[in-house]
Amino acid sequence: MNLEGLLAYVLQYGTWLASATIVAGLALALTGSRTGTHDITIGIALFILLPVFRVAVMLVVFLRERDYRFSAIAATVLMIICVGFALGRL
Amino acid sequence: MDGGFVLWLFAVAVGASALGGMLGMAGGIFIVPILTILGHIDIHTAIGASIVSVIACSCGGAAPYLRGRLTNIRLAIVLEVATTLGALTGVLLSGVIPVPYLFFLFAVILLLSAQQMLARRGEPAMIAAEANSGPWVASLRLDSSYPDRTLGRDIAYRVQRVPLGMMLMYGAGLISALLGIGSGVLKIPAMDSALRLPIKVSSGTSNFMIGVTAAASAGAYFMRGNIVAGVAGPVALGSVVGAVLGARILMVVSNDKIRLLFVVVLIVLAAQMLLAAFGVDLMKGSA
Repeated sequence: MNLEGLLAYVLQYGTWLASATIVAGLALALTGSRTGTHDITIGIALFILLPVFRVAVMLVVFLRERDYRFSAIAATVLMIICVGFALGRL
Repeated sequence: MDGGFVLWLFAVAVGASALGGMLGMAGGIFIVPILTILGHIDIHTAIGASIVSVIACSCGGAAPYLRGRLTNIRLAIVLEVATTLGALTGVLLSGVIPVPYLFFLFAVILLLSAQQMLARRGEPAMIAAEANSGPWVASLRLDSSYPDRTLGRDIAYRVQRVPLGMMLMYGAGLISALLGIGSGVLKIPAMDSALRLPIKVSSGTSNFMIGVTAAASAGAYFMRGNIVAGVAGPVALGSVVGAVLGARILMVVSNDKIRLLFVVVLIVLAAQMLLAAFGVDLMKGSA
């Protein structure tokens, strides 16, 4: 599978996983269960982490292809996103 | 949790993302105005929900573009350096910009989008093969080709003026983080006028990039507690459904009708956001 195919696979199944988690959480929350909101939050976190994971996959593939210039670019994007997460804690 | 409210949020997201999806955009530009004006939801909570919706639209819609070789992933990751940096700037600004200014800025972006929709978007002029793409592009191997169904063959294209494109993308990332939208209004000129990508490649690459751009700011908003599960959950779910639906409707409805509908909705929402910016709330009495 080429990189495009791999990324399509990751994003497609990731979307299913995150959506299913939110559906389960909503179903629980609407029936009055306390764990529902917690599950929805996990689903949302999965959605937010999905593009980050996609960049990490690209980084690994670039490294394996010994494409160091693009590895550095992908690592930079990952680093900027991590700074974003840290900014929210300030 | 109130079932009626959850259903309303879900329906709003389906409608917004279907409408956006018909034009290859995320639905965030409709979600924030509807949640704040009709739902009386705090604008920061609305932006938090909308930014998650942008990620959902991007990830949910990426596969067909990737498999159809319409996404230039090398170009995308280069431009993402600029969009994510812009997103960080937006996160920093979002804490200090007063709420009425946010409403006003949103109205301006809605009007600019309406104007952009009315101006017909043409395929960027083909540049002669020897056109110089600058030292940047040559060393990064960003040029590529895409399969054209109607012609039945691959069309090669060159990526132009990357530094200018990067600057516009920085702005797009900033607006995206600040307002919780995919920011097509700045990405389209960047892709068409600066980089000169074919429209299909531009849609595929833009869809691919908005998820990462939004993740940079969504991470910050999530940590900050601006992403409320009860609002963002149904909106994210509705967006996935809407994005899939929008792509289907695109096949049967004429592009011009969608465009007109889009412009009307944008102008109505812009007027509402302007009123909100100046402290007038028409809906309060009737809602």
